[in-house]
Amino acid sequence: MIQKKVCMVGVFGTGKTSLVQRYVHSLFSSKYHSTVGVKIDRKQVRVGETDVNLLLWDVEGRTAEQEIPASYLRGAHAVLFVADGTRRETFDQLFELRELTRSAAGDIPSIVALNKVDLTDQWTLTAADTAKLIAAGFHTLTTSAKTGEGVEDAFRWIGVATMKDAAPAAQAQVRHGN
Amino acid sequence: MSDDGDLSVRELTELRDLLFGGERRQLDELRRRLDTFELTPEEIAEHLPQAIMQRTNRDRQLGIALAPTVECAISESVRRNPQEIATAIFPVLGPSIRKAIAETMAGLVNTINRAIEHSFSPQGIRWRIESWRTGVSFAQIVMRHALVYRVEQVFLVHAETGLLLAHVPEDSSGDADLISGMLTAIGDFVNDSFEPKHTGELRAFAAGDLTVLVEPGPQAYIAAVVRGTPPNTLPVKLQTTVERIHLQWSNPLASFNGDATAFTSTQPLLEECIETVLSTDRAASKPGLRKFAWAIPVLLIVAALSWWATRGGRQWNTAMTRLEAEPGIVVIRSERDGGKWHLTGMRDPLARNPSLLLASRGVDTNDVVAHWEPYVSTEPALLLARARRVLAPPVGVTFSLNGDTLSVAGRAPAFWIVRAESVAPALAGVGSVDFSRVAPGLPAEMEAIAAEIERSRAFFAPGADSLDKSALAATALVAMKFRELLDAATTIRYNVSVTVVGRADPSGAESDNLALSRRRAFAVRDRLVSLGIGAAHITTDAIGNNDPLPADSPAERARLNRSASFVVRAQPSASVNGAERAR
Repeated sequence: MIQKKVCMVGVFGTGKTSLVQRYVHSLFSSKYHSTVGVKIDRKQVRVGETDVNLLLWDVEGRTAEQEIPASYLRGAHAVLFVADGTRRETFDQLFELRELTRSAAGDIPSIVALNKVDLTDQWTLTAADTAKLIAAGFHTLTTSAKTGEGVEDAFRWIGVATMKDAAPAAQAQVRHGN
Repeated sequence: MSDDGDLSVRELTELRDLLFGGERRQLDELRRRLDTFELTPEEIAEHLPQAIMQRTNRDRQLGIALAPTVECAISESVRRNPQEIATAIFPVLGPSIRKAIAETMAGLVNTINRAIEHSFSPQGIRWRIESWRTGVSFAQIVMRHALVYRVEQVFLVHAETGLLLAHVPEDSSGDADLISGMLTAIGDFVNDSFEPKHTGELRAFAAGDLTVLVEPGPQAYIAAVVRGTPPNTLPVKLQTTVERIHLQWSNPLASFNGDATAFTSTQPLLEECIETVLSTDRAASKPGLRKFAWAIPVLLIVAALSWWATRGGRQWNTAMTRLEAEPGIVVIRSERDGGKWHLTGMRDPLARNPSLLLASRGVDTNDVVAHWEPYVSTEPALLLARARRVLAPPVGVTFSLNGDTLSVAGRAPAFWIVRAESVAPALAGVGSVDFSRVAPGLPAEMEAIAAEIERSRAFFAPGADSLDKSALAATALVAMKFRELLDAATTIRYNVSVTVVGRADPSGAESDNLALSRRRAFAVRDRLVSLGIGAAHITTDAIGNNDPLPADSPAERARLNRSASFVVRAQPSASVNGAERAR
């Protein structure tokens, strides 16, 4: 059984936790967020012939007062950034957050979930914004906690990305998002 | 020129060979060895034994490093020719097997002891009740009370990522990977949250009776979940395990990228850390006592023997004390001679039997030769006994002593009072007698019945001596009452009799009246006998018109005295009187 450490990082209130909670195995309650600052869940994905256990470190969201603890990012094999498509500032902070992750865990596969895509009338991001992300090396997709759109895709991408060295053939299965 | 040149080069080479040939070969060899820097087998063979010895003296790493190779070599050897290894280890195997069996047996005995201890001790019974009351199994109750500590789970966790490398026991929680992640996060959290930062690792945390011990290593750490109070030796054990894992699995640790397969083989090492220690496992409880348990029966036997040896003497002394305390017995001498006890003393005839007293204290009276001189004791108990024996008081009469004054109280027939008043002052030890609290008369039980009989009259017609209807009724009543009187008298040991007194009215000649009154008395007596009253209890008396019953008018007086009346006599039972007289 292969295990990978995946960090979920985002600004406070981007809906990280609710985005994944229906799709992961949870042992700990969300009160760990307010106490320890992190809550660990498990998501199993299949890459080629291999089952991969993604240990999701759902790190407490960044606020003006509280930086994300770098030690939680240490050793991560991939990172899932979550931004709220209806709040532009959460998008703007993605680049700072990536720097933080990079200094703690190095250059690791990174994916951005632009969340709350179901709230189309409040959507603030443009195609130019998405292009900016892709240009910066983020794999990008839109997600919705309400409809579940994009969530499984995000995990599958992470599974494949973390297994790149071990199973290059799996790359073929990746369906790049928008 | 070219030839010259060729010549000169050849010549120079030759010259150089001649001058420096030896040094050059040595130089080439040195250069070669410096370039390759590899030890030759000969050189290794030269230094290997010493190198092994030095490293073995320093630490155990060589052994640990060699272990897999040796294991591999042994299994290969066994595969090829099992006999070879079997022969080699046979001398070691035999004693080991014997030792293992002995230890297993000792363990079994210990387990049985503990089971018995738990089953029958008050504590065990309490635990059984608790088990019955709470519905929790007895084994769990014992565990809960006797548990010192138990290492329940051991995690081997990759330090950097928090990913689980291995976990024992295997069948426990399927969420070990989440827990190991969270343990790592908590460690990071503690490290980040409290000043000064990064001063060390989280080593332990506790909640209730659960403690998690963390033993860090550079690349992986061990976390042990312990219920109860972990001993100081446990962290050392965990540390050794972490070190061994870092040594033996250094490559898999260095290259770990999420695949924990290589660490499955650490499980036996981790399992060595799983253990349960109960308070009952600690032999320290009463080792001294248990060691000398054999002495208890020996002491009991010695005690029993010495008790048996001194028993006779102690029994005799106890019996003597009892005898000397007995009123009316004075022991003058007691000695052991020829296997028998010889006793000399004085005894009041009314005192209790000394042989019985000795026997009641466990003395075998066959071993006692006693000689008692009779004497009269004036001790109160004996004086009262003598008074009762001589005076034979009726039931209800009591004696007491006040100084040398004998006080008598109760109700007694007048004749007894008269006799007692004359006899009592003559009793030995009695100075004076007080009869002021004695009332004359029948005992209360009989008094009422006797009065009823004595009030009865059987009336006759003038000149007649046969019983008419009213006389028959009166006689029947007397017969009935007399039977009651007999019952009461028997109970309190009195003899009773009734005298039928025949009477006549004043008319007629006195001799005729006497004869008539006698016939009337006989008629009533016969009637009483026919009603079941024993003739021995009935006497008759005929008084004619002497001592007539009084009445207000002459006619009434005449009617009243044409009758038979009754007098009851009662006295303490003849057997008492008989005994009295015999004395």
